[in-house]
Amino acid sequence: MAVDAGPGRGVGRVSIDLCRLWALYARMDVLWIGRAGSTAFMWYLADFIVGTSVVISTWLLAERFDGIGGWSKGQVFFLLGYSLIVRGLVECLFGWNVSHISRRIGRGQLDHMLLQPRPLWMIVLTEGFSPLTGSGMVVAGGIVLASAIGPAVSPNWAFFALNLVASVAVVIAFSYAWGSLAFVAPRAAEEINSSTMAMVDQLRGFPLDGLSAPLIVTLLSVLPVGLVAWLPSRALLGLDQSPITPWLTPLLACVLAGIAGWIFNRGLHHYGRTGSTRYLAHGHRR
Amino acid sequence: MAGPDRLDTSPTDIAVELRGVHKRFMQRQRAGTLRELAGSLLHPKVTWIEALRGIDLSVRRGEIVAYAGPNGAGKSTTIKLLSSLLVADAGEVRCLGMDPSRDRLRYVARIGVVFGQRTELYWDHPVSASFEWKKVVWDIPGDRYLRMRDTVCDLLDLAPLMGTTARELSLGQRMRVDLALALLHEPELLLLDEPSLGLDVLARRRILSFLQEQNAQLGTTVLVTSHDMAELEQLAGRIVMLHQGEIAFDGDFAALRGDVMRHRVLRIEMEDGSAPVLRGAEHRASEGMRHEYVFDGAEVALTDLVAQADAQGRVVDVETHRPNIDDVVAELYERWQGDVTGQP
Repeated sequence: MAVDAGPGRGVGRVSIDLCRLWALYARMDVLWIGRAGSTAFMWYLADFIVGTSVVISTWLLAERFDGIGGWSKGQVFFLLGYSLIVRGLVECLFGWNVSHISRRIGRGQLDHMLLQPRPLWMIVLTEGFSPLTGSGMVVAGGIVLASAIGPAVSPNWAFFALNLVASVAVVIAFSYAWGSLAFVAPRAAEEINSSTMAMVDQLRGFPLDGLSAPLIVTLLSVLPVGLVAWLPSRALLGLDQSPITPWLTPLLACVLAGIAGWIFNRGLHHYGRTGSTRYLAHGHRR
Repeated sequence: MAGPDRLDTSPTDIAVELRGVHKRFMQRQRAGTLRELAGSLLHPKVTWIEALRGIDLSVRRGEIVAYAGPNGAGKSTTIKLLSSLLVADAGEVRCLGMDPSRDRLRYVARIGVVFGQRTELYWDHPVSASFEWKKVVWDIPGDRYLRMRDTVCDLLDLAPLMGTTARELSLGQRMRVDLALALLHEPELLLLDEPSLGLDVLARRRILSFLQEQNAQLGTTVLVTSHDMAELEQLAGRIVMLHQGEIAFDGDFAALRGDVMRHRVLRIEMEDGSAPVLRGAEHRASEGMRHEYVFDGAEVALTDLVAQADAQGRVVDVETHRPNIDDVVAELYERWQGDVTGQP
């Protein structure tokens, strides 16, 4: 299967297409959450509880010991808030199983994406856009982050957005690299992204200082959970004074995105030869 | 993205062209016992399924073609190849002047695909939201969208359903909406894989007449697979029968009947009750004054048989019928099965 880059279009036209698609899915998201007030309330409440419960253990440890491993309490809160915002942005931008791509591949639902006259990268970037249903965790993260900011915790805001985007890219790259296994083992790997996301959720909120060097390298490469919050937080909080550290996460995110893209394209070629041997309808449309 | 440009087409009159297309799939043989499991871990057994073996097929623009065959014959594989979801192992696939797998974006903008067991509808949204989704994603110009939306709503009686969520639709309603959705961008080629699966007679009839209307008005080329042969006969002028990945028949339904089941049934009622002896016809059964014969329509004329009977007594009533298309296809499948098992 040819990996489509899309017909030769200018950046302006592509940007307009992206904006139109984001607007479409945002509108659909508003319609979906707006069906009933009670649904919307429960949705946000559940999202808030899930988000905060993931980081509560680290929060309590930081409270009890007034910080963790060289990180002050405020710095740990910043790390937790940052990690929640990253996770929330993943939900906002890549919701509805676009981030859990192994489900779409394993269930044969990639066909629905391939039948749309849009480049696959454009569909991936837009189809899961759910600014309302995915925003619960962003709000929770924002509150935690805001509570951390003070005289003792003053992040480098100039690099904040760049690192945030890079961290989101890391989560998606990690997800797509492992999710591509579903191309060759649709049934066995259908839920592999549940595991990769669970790993990200469990480890993203811990300061990794003090771990052995090989372990840290592993957590910044093969299992890059260190790039989700720890390394960017270190850079943004000035815990590492090297001028290159604010650029490290974006650089590594580019490398990981390149690798994930290559793996995914290989899987897509395989998919073109074999097709999908199974089809399950659930989960591909909200 | 501009809407489908009907000028940007192949100069030929051919909408679909397959030349020597081969497709095969690997199938792992699973272990049924622990001993087999141990063996299969060391030496996995695989078999290759030849889904398509050198298919040559041309479909003219504006043609409706029925694509039929028993389960596993290769129908869905062909539809997936033509939808750009699969790539052929060998041979050439050209549709609307393009290679579906290489020109995916331009190509899928000009085709419509409906898989009977799948839906493109947004489950928790009203039907109108799915229509809007299609408009934006396919970049359908506003006037064309409104015209087609009104047309499909009118012909398929969708107006009462536009505010209903997909999850609340019956199967027949959902299928009608899916079909309408597939046609909103005025595709030049419509690929339908078992579109009437599970539908009642009324829903089926509605969809068939709609497809015929679209074909007549817009010249949409339609390739449709189904197991319902009566439906295919009603819809299509041409039938392509697949058997084990090869085209076993390509022609019209009358030719299929003639090719497979030349015999016809004659029921004749005589005044005196005795069964006349008819040359060229085989007596099958008698019940009272009614007698049933089977004859080969190509060998002996019906009028000859009636004349023979009339010469042997007074004929009160004559009744004859051709086998229905389901009988024809059942006979064909049985023959194929016999070929495979080596039994007559």
